[in-house]
Amino acid sequence: MPGDSVLYSERPEWSDIQPIAQYETVTPVAPIFYSDEYKDATGYFRAVVKANERSERVLQLTEHIIRLNPGHYSVWQYRWSTLLALGSSLEDELLLMDELATTYLKTYQVWHHRRLIITELGGKSNPARELRFIRQGLNVDSKNYHTWAYRQWLLAHFNEDALWEGELPFVEEMLDEDVRNNSAWHHRFFTVWQSGVRAGEEDREYTLNRELSYTKEKIALAPNNGSAWNYLRGVLDFTKTSYSTLRTFIEPYTAPRDESEPEVLDLDNPLPSKDAQLPCVAAIEFLAEIYESEVDNAKRAAELYRSLAEVHDKIREKYWNYRVGEALSSAGQVVAS
Amino acid sequence: MYAPTKTDNYPTQTSIDQAKVEQILAHHNPNYISPTLPNPHSPTSPTSPQTPQTPHSRPQRNEAKLNKQSHINFLARLLIQGFPDRYTSQDASQPWLIFWIVQGLSLLGVGLDAGNKQKIINTLLACQSPLGGFGGGPGQAPHLLTTYAAVCTLAIVGRPGPQGGWDQIDRKKLYAFFLSLKQPDGSTLVSPHSEVDVRGTYCLLVTSTLLDILTPPLSASTPSFIASCQTYEGGFASASQPYYSPYFKVRNESTLMSDPRPPLGEAHGGYTFCAVASWVMLAPLRPPSNPSSPPNPASNPQTSPSPRPEYPTSQFTPSQEEGPKINTRSLVRWLTSLQGSPLELGAFRGRTNKLVDGCYSWWVGGCFGVLEGLGIDGANFSHYSHSKAHASGGQGGQGEGEGKSEEDEWADDDDALFNKRALQEYILYAAQAPTGGLRDKPPKHADSYHTLYNLSGLSNAQHRVHPSAEVTELLEKNWVDTPPPSPASAPTSTPPSPPSKTEETEETFERPDIYLSKLPSESYEAWNARRKRIWMAASAWSEDESEGSVAYVGGSDNRVNASHPLFNLTITHSRGMLNHFYGQSFVVPS
Ligand SMILES: [Zn+2]
Repeated sequence: MPGDSVLYSERPEWSDIQPIAQYETVTPVAPIFYSDEYKDATGYFRAVVKANERSERVLQLTEHIIRLNPGHYSVWQYRWSTLLALGSSLEDELLLMDELATTYLKTYQVWHHRRLIITELGGKSNPARELRFIRQGLNVDSKNYHTWAYRQWLLAHFNEDALWEGELPFVEEMLDEDVRNNSAWHHRFFTVWQSGVRAGEEDREYTLNRELSYTKEKIALAPNNGSAWNYLRGVLDFTKTSYSTLRTFIEPYTAPRDESEPEVLDLDNPLPSKDAQLPCVAAIEFLAEIYESEVDNAKRAAELYRSLAEVHDKIREKYWNYRVGEALSSAGQVVAS
Repeated sequence: MYAPTKTDNYPTQTSIDQAKVEQILAHHNPNYISPTLPNPHSPTSPTSPQTPQTPHSRPQRNEAKLNKQSHINFLARLLIQGFPDRYTSQDASQPWLIFWIVQGLSLLGVGLDAGNKQKIINTLLACQSPLGGFGGGPGQAPHLLTTYAAVCTLAIVGRPGPQGGWDQIDRKKLYAFFLSLKQPDGSTLVSPHSEVDVRGTYCLLVTSTLLDILTPPLSASTPSFIASCQTYEGGFASASQPYYSPYFKVRNESTLMSDPRPPLGEAHGGYTFCAVASWVMLAPLRPPSNPSSPPNPASNPQTSPSPRPEYPTSQFTPSQEEGPKINTRSLVRWLTSLQGSPLELGAFRGRTNKLVDGCYSWWVGGCFGVLEGLGIDGANFSHYSHSKAHASGGQGGQGEGEGKSEEDEWADDDDALFNKRALQEYILYAAQAPTGGLRDKPPKHADSYHTLYNLSGLSNAQHRVHPSAEVTELLEKNWVDTPPPSPASAPTSTPPSPPSKTEETEETFERPDIYLSKLPSESYEAWNARRKRIWMAASAWSEDESEGSVAYVGGSDNRVNASHPLFNLTITHSRGMLNHFYGQSFVVPS
């Protein structure tokens, strides 16, 4: 293992191999000062690749290098084709990946190698076990891009109802932990909307209402959460639902809380939490878009965009002014036509 | 002004991490005044700005200065002396390390001497694989990403002729390598047995554009793959999952379904840059609506200026109904939403609810430069309202009344859609490491990757680079068709494979490029016309030097060179390599 291994150049069982130096005739720029251990191992790796050797010792050598540098994609590739050539146990390989994926969570290769193994195992693989493994990975790094993409690939690849069934409860668990986790919101969209309509989900009206209720509730909890607003817009765009249908819900989020008014409990339109910091930029934008879609309300839309540019969200002043122009110009077109 | 991100008194891990970063960045903001921090600019504060209560000394106003010399030293040291042991993790990215350094120096206006250039060329050529393409180091497998890094570095330091690096690129093998990676859904593997993602698509398109090997078979179905990666947020994901009918399990005999085709992963700045730049690079290949009109709407001098950008979608085909589309409206909304607050000094984050990071100055900020290729910039609506006011004689009831007062509101430094000034402040105040080089965010160390992408982002925030109609016209006039080669002058030792004799008409000719033997029969004229479109579209990008297009926070001493939004090479380096491989000699006058 790293650090305490005998150099390959000192191992009799490797004496038949002549290692190949990285740069044989060139003095490279920007050289990396490798450890002796790494330099030695990769010298032997280049030699076995040149000889196209496929053997147990190649598996040991490639594992050794991967532990020193998990980003060495050529070593991963060569290991993979060696595993196939030797007919090695892919179940054992997966166990090794359990360990490596935990240590090198951020490298592409650990997740991709897993995907190759699972694809190759096909019907003999256990995708449910994979889902549990991924969950553990997310405990360590809840926004890891590769981990999420791997989970999504797994679900789509196997596309089995039994696997999909657990996804909504899983996402809710993730969002309960952190309602601002955008990766989890994306996963929800992937699961609910973008992966086809599965058995039991044919009633899209029901699905839409369920998603709207869920999202409104999460917005009420912490209104200044861009992830939840983006999801809400995504759902409306995807289902071609007019933004205007949410007007009653949106309005209380667009202005400071009116303390004088008694709170009316409306389950369809949850009010901002007591500690909400209002007004909420995303709500003002949303309301402006509602106005923009109406025939005579371009001016009010423009006013709201202008308030974002000048008061509530000045860093995006240019963009909001652009929206002012857009609102007024499309209004002009309506008048002209 | 410097309000922390609103948490609604509902803390989660995201808001806790966010608050920590805001606290650190406050110390780097010379204008930030906090009740808990003594303000060195206030006359009533202690005279010494080096207040012992704060872990970081707060920069003075006059520190809006790009420490060019220390960044040059930082990069030159890495180039000459190399990287310590912990960079072993970059062993499979050696062409990248060199590209980050060399392009960083180009932006800083530093060229290399002939000796160092030759060393770089030799190092890169040692990374060229016998299979075609470049790997992460000698003896490593070829990979699309390292091929981009190697080819772009050669654009900077290489030259034609023996040992110049350019003519030693084996384009025939490279083309075959590219084709071998293509997948039926239009995506490409980044390397054999490796993953698919839009970074690979981007790297393939940049290198094949620069080297004149971009062909219809190479780009087949790529637009629909790119479009399928756009998420509901507006940005793009790493890849998408193809479903094949009737079941994915028999994919070899099945056809790709248009739906479902979900993105894998959420909208992400890096993937978005690659996806949108790819979309723009594919434009010259889209079926021309009429044979004489150049394909790029923004560089088409014959089209009367369109008042509206292609909202809400950018279509790949001229037809209104067919073909893949991307939603530029949601894209622009998402891109602008990623710019941080004044407390974050206007830096960009890479995904919703993640932390700002200096490298997104390019991946997200740079997207606004790429959008110029689709005719989208902040000027669209200022022009619209301007001409509108004239055309309609000031139609009543619009906005705050007259067109004039509205125009005054547009009168700002520049026509950008994002806050260029604020982004420059982040880079100058927070991203520069005290010992040279630039970084993700304080208190992290500088590295070559973040040095380049902060500088590239700074470049994009200082300059406006766009496909210029004037330059397009010049290019069009000065293009010279590549003549069919006589057999005696064929530069290769292996003779070009003879074109297949079946179904061929009078127009068949022996193409000089051996790689093109894989193309379906194409007339000499069509072949030249396609290459011309690609060359023109790539070479037309120019710096807009008109007033209001250039803005240097901290003064013109902070100027870095302009960068080509699609390639991240200077305009000169881009055009130099393009001219060589397309056989052109026209130099755009500056
Ligand atoms: Zn970064």
